[in-house]
Amino acid sequence: MQIYVCVKHVPDSAAALTFVDNSRIDENVTFLLNPYDEHAVTEAVRIRDLVPGSEAVAVCLGNEDAEKTVRSALAMGADRGILVTGGEGCDSIATARALKAAIESDGSPSLIFTGRQSIDAEGWQTMFRLGALFGFPAVTNAVKLELENDKVVVESELAGGVSNIYEMHMPCVIGAGRRLNTPGYPTFPDIVRSKKKIVEKIRLSGLETAKTSSCVTTVELAPMMQARNPSEIKGNPAEAARKIADILKNEAKVI
Amino acid sequence: MSEKFDAIIIGAGVIGSPIAYELSKMGYKTLNVDKGPDAGEGSTAGSCAIVRAHYSTADGVAMAYEGFKYWLDWENYLDHVKDEKGLAKYMNTGSILIKSQGHDWRKVKKNYDEVGVEYEEWSNDRIKQAVPVADLHEFWPVRRPEDPRFYDEPTKEIEGALFCPEGGYVNDPALSAHNIMRAAEAKGAKFMFNAEVVDIRSEKGRVKGVTLKDGAQIDADIVVNVGGPHSYIITKMADGVWEGCNIKTKALRHEVMYCPSPEGYDYYNEGYHMSDGDIGCYVRPEVGNLFLIGSEDPECDPQHWVDPNEFYAGKGGPGYDNQLTEAQWKAQCYRLGKRIPSLKVPNQPRGVCDLYDCSDDWIPIYDKTDLPGFYLAVGTSGNQFKNAPVVGRMMAELIDACEKGLDHDNEPFQYKFKYIDRTTDVGFFSRKRQINYNSSFSVNG
Repeated sequence: MQIYVCVKHVPDSAAALTFVDNSRIDENVTFLLNPYDEHAVTEAVRIRDLVPGSEAVAVCLGNEDAEKTVRSALAMGADRGILVTGGEGCDSIATARALKAAIESDGSPSLIFTGRQSIDAEGWQTMFRLGALFGFPAVTNAVKLELENDKVVVESELAGGVSNIYEMHMPCVIGAGRRLNTPGYPTFPDIVRSKKKIVEKIRLSGLETAKTSSCVTTVELAPMMQARNPSEIKGNPAEAARKIADILKNEAKVI
Repeated sequence: MSEKFDAIIIGAGVIGSPIAYELSKMGYKTLNVDKGPDAGEGSTAGSCAIVRAHYSTADGVAMAYEGFKYWLDWENYLDHVKDEKGLAKYMNTGSILIKSQGHDWRKVKKNYDEVGVEYEEWSNDRIKQAVPVADLHEFWPVRRPEDPRFYDEPTKEIEGALFCPEGGYVNDPALSAHNIMRAAEAKGAKFMFNAEVVDIRSEKGRVKGVTLKDGAQIDADIVVNVGGPHSYIITKMADGVWEGCNIKTKALRHEVMYCPSPEGYDYYNEGYHMSDGDIGCYVRPEVGNLFLIGSEDPECDPQHWVDPNEFYAGKGGPGYDNQLTEAQWKAQCYRLGKRIPSLKVPNQPRGVCDLYDCSDDWIPIYDKTDLPGFYLAVGTSGNQFKNAPVVGRMMAELIDACEKGLDHDNEPFQYKFKYIDRTTDVGFFSRKRQINYNSSFSVNG
């Protein structure tokens, strides 16, 4: 079985982000494997190990620095990587086209994994566009996945904690959610082994894509400032705990 | 402020607070001023709060060993004061010092013998019993992951370890400073927060008081600089003091990492503090079954000296601001990953980035200055948390002796430890000393 896992090189959510010219972020911060894609890689590796003769390939559209992210996926168990460069500014449509072209030029997919979203653009679209371009069914926020012959049975969690079960024929596209698994982080020996794995680098211009121009343009980026009105909860720990419980119950109404 | 104090202590961290406590017990009317919001919320909060005995000098070992007694007897030390935040807790894990080329462990052993520190010599088999997840190959010299030789296969094994049954860490360093503040307040000490000192005033060749950013002037005949990473800025405010110091201090940026313990290994409850010069790391357990991974400052690592004001404001850019860097995350986690091959390293860095108040030889300055009435408890170099209660007592006695006429520069004050039968020459910590080449020039002191 040929399994592809699409990974994105994103800024660390803990980084202090600043904007340049109100149009792009200052990229002089740590970039890493999109956290949702960690679940996608972990699941791809699990399925690869279930089906003898399978291969899990990490595919990324990014800049040269994104090789680090592909290497992270390899350290987590992917067999090899494909990095498509020269796609700066791609929106979800152009990204899906580039990923499809890279996957098609490499092999015939049975399963394509993505994270359910990226933590930078948060478009939640690329996986559906990828499915549409291929003509494959797609499901998002997968929290459980089982293989049954040429089908997969996927539990997908929707808003409000509602879950649906989908039965899909392969090939299909799976958007991994956080509850799907615990990310299989690498040990130092895994990292050493991954350094020997192959990352194929392709220029986007060298791929056959129908149309690569993006439909989305960035008008302006601005920080979202949230007004905060902190107040100190005083008293001993027991009193403070009671007050917090009261706030959560009667003001925030979350418990 | 119209109120007059006997002593103003600049800083209310884990060193400033015990100085106030001890001076208050001796009858001094003290005021701590701190630019932070509460006791211990500056660089104390970022401390790993390790309590271990190994130092490269016998005086260093003695002071640390004395410090244990305070942490073990915390409630008594605080005179059973109540703190609404609860009490910090000393976690006695035991302390393993790996015998390596990264530590002059023979010197440490000699110092242990001289001071009477209880310890055992462990074989590799004994280490393996205690730390079953460890790979005891020798990985020396310490390198960075960017260096291809970092991945060379090891061939030899390390030569065992020194183990001290006493050693560990304090679970909440900021809370420990807060506890001491409450104890000091019970003896009459006052604390002022969100108060930044902008000038040290002097008159007729003697310190007169401090001026705060809001223009307030507070007078006292004694001012003690315990400014942590800001100490050098404070020292320069006092007439002629900086010029009179042979040993200077500056702020060094440091990163500490949190990495999950390997599956099936209960490091939080069963693990040891371990100082491992062979990989340039020290580790201790952290809540959540995490390894807290500190760096022992191997020569290959860059040192980033920063302006503390810019650093805490998040300015200066990667490697100079208060954000973890990917390069150092990988360096420290991969180094520990050699020693513990089952350690899983997440992609996202997690940890603490803070500053050392570092002296030229990584040994603190506990001293008077050339400006009468102005004292220094600075240059703690990331290795004085464990000594804080001892330093509080020692500084209070030094100040008292100097104020009563002792010529400390020429007849150094001799401090008699409270618990162990030993006296230490406080001149060892003099600002006028030559650089002490017995130092490890690292966090190990």
